[in-house]
Amino acid sequence: MSDLDRQIEQLKKCEPLKESEVKALCLKAMEILVEESNVQRVDAPVTICGDIHGQFYDMKELFKVGGDCPKTNYLFLGDFVDRGFYSVETFLLLLALKVRYPDRITLIRGNHESRQITQVYGFYDECLRKYGSVNVWRYCTDIFDYLSLSALIENRIFSVHGGLSPAISTLDQIRTIDRKQEVPHDGAMCDLLWSDPEDIVEGWGLSPRGAGYLFGGSVVASFNHENNIDYICRAHQLVMEGYKWMFKNQIVTVWSAPNYCYRCGNVAAILELDENLNKEFRVFEAAPQESRGAPAKKPAPDYFL
Amino acid sequence: MEVEVDEKDLKAAGAEMLTDGRHGLRIHGWEIESRKRSILNSPNLQQWEEKLQTSHLPEMVFGESSLVLKHVNSGIKIHFNAFDALTGWKQEALPPVEVPAAAKWKFRSKPFQQVILDYDYTFTTPYCGSQTLEIEQEKHGRGEESLGSCTLCWEECNEKIDVASLASKEPILFYDEVILYEDELADNGVSLLTVKVRVMPTCWFLLLRFWLRVDGVLMRLRDTRMHCIFKDDANPIILRESCWREATFQALSAKGYPSDSAAYNDPSTISQRLPIIMHKTQKLKVE
Repeated sequence: MSDLDRQIEQLKKCEPLKESEVKALCLKAMEILVEESNVQRVDAPVTICGDIHGQFYDMKELFKVGGDCPKTNYLFLGDFVDRGFYSVETFLLLLALKVRYPDRITLIRGNHESRQITQVYGFYDECLRKYGSVNVWRYCTDIFDYLSLSALIENRIFSVHGGLSPAISTLDQIRTIDRKQEVPHDGAMCDLLWSDPEDIVEGWGLSPRGAGYLFGGSVVASFNHENNIDYICRAHQLVMEGYKWMFKNQIVTVWSAPNYCYRCGNVAAILELDENLNKEFRVFEAAPQESRGAPAKKPAPDYFL
Repeated sequence: MEVEVDEKDLKAAGAEMLTDGRHGLRIHGWEIESRKRSILNSPNLQQWEEKLQTSHLPEMVFGESSLVLKHVNSGIKIHFNAFDALTGWKQEALPPVEVPAAAKWKFRSKPFQQVILDYDYTFTTPYCGSQTLEIEQEKHGRGEESLGSCTLCWEECNEKIDVASLASKEPILFYDEVILYEDELADNGVSLLTVKVRVMPTCWFLLLRFWLRVDGVLMRLRDTRMHCIFKDDANPIILRESCWREATFQALSAKGYPSDSAAYNDPSTISQRLPIIMHKTQKLKVE
């Protein structure tokens, strides 16, 4: 058994790798990812997955439902880390699979694959806690800069973490972005990872936060028409039912973190496309409590004031 | 989040746990129950949007979750739910808070016919609990003695919640924390409304907390504490203390406090750093 296969087996048991192994894995991953396009071509059949957020045991449920990689060809739409308890193991397993089977798994970048966001929402603290230093966080966030920004399945389905950008009307414009950098605070790359579809606007909307685009049905219709695609598949927003169509089936949100943050009680979904691009949503629930390794401890009475 | 309760403690306090899968207890004429359910599904969320006349709700609305404290003899019912809290948000309607990136965005070229959304995405609410008088029909007979004229109201008072007695470690017979709603502000911070309760042999105490952090901009903490010491005659005395705190990241860093968002994950450890902007104590009165 090769080192890599052994590491994959270890990660599947939710055991993190040694710091030196992470470093070597990231170097290998970088060589593969640097060759990928900003609009990475993906062949069908493929199974599309949304946000995971470090919910390792729920991702194992996902693989139970969707089948193992490399037998199943996967496309993950980003947000592997933050919020859940096992961002390290989750991201490293996906990355190890990427290095082992580069043509059978595609990883694109979510807005959480960023230095700034991971310092606030959990991944940084988790690395520090599990390794006693931030080196692993550094290796991983350096890899984030190499992740592709979007994928195009059989030239007919466009996949991205967040959504569209007013600075982009054609896929070729995405191809010209220099993506090897921290996610910027504005501009096309930022929008692809951050924006959301919104029912109450027709064209473009600006969030009340003063930053962040919302896009309506007419924006999606003209993008799909111009680029000759059937629909857009994206993630980024929690949907209770696991997936949600909008704008007359021109865009679908796929969400793959069941019982999000271990308390929402939502189901998750993945989208399976066969060789003819026929769709099947596979809905699944969170891993049972007892399979999560350490059982949830009942908290001591809290004498809050 | 239930804790194992000592049966002996329960018995000594004259309390009994609720049965049939319900979560809570009966003690000194009070029935205290928490319900923790999943977030609302899409059809329910849409109904709430219509009822509240809004097109935006927190992404996690625990609409079926609640905490209810009912005094059976007087009919006083104190309860906490997301719907009433969001009604308060809708009424207060604070202006939106701009995130730091907004400064840069002002210089972006505007797309054709851009609409700027304008609503309080922080879901800040003045909610400090709901109260109703519920008289059971069978006890008072039908049509006889109209109690519709009785109402509950909170009156300002000089008494204070006795924090010292609450710090004493009497056994906790019942403890729970219920999230009413939560929003990640699209990864720009957190907005969270929760209520925690603990019931001891001599009293119950609860904390309703609205916690907001807009990363790099501001923090807002709106706490409501309620305390009721058990006594077995007539109407219970319930004290309610509201304390609102607020600070900008700028003001905190000027005082020498850290200004990175990661330092402000747990409101209970940093609340003292936020200056008080409103404080009042009230007592519940039946009229």
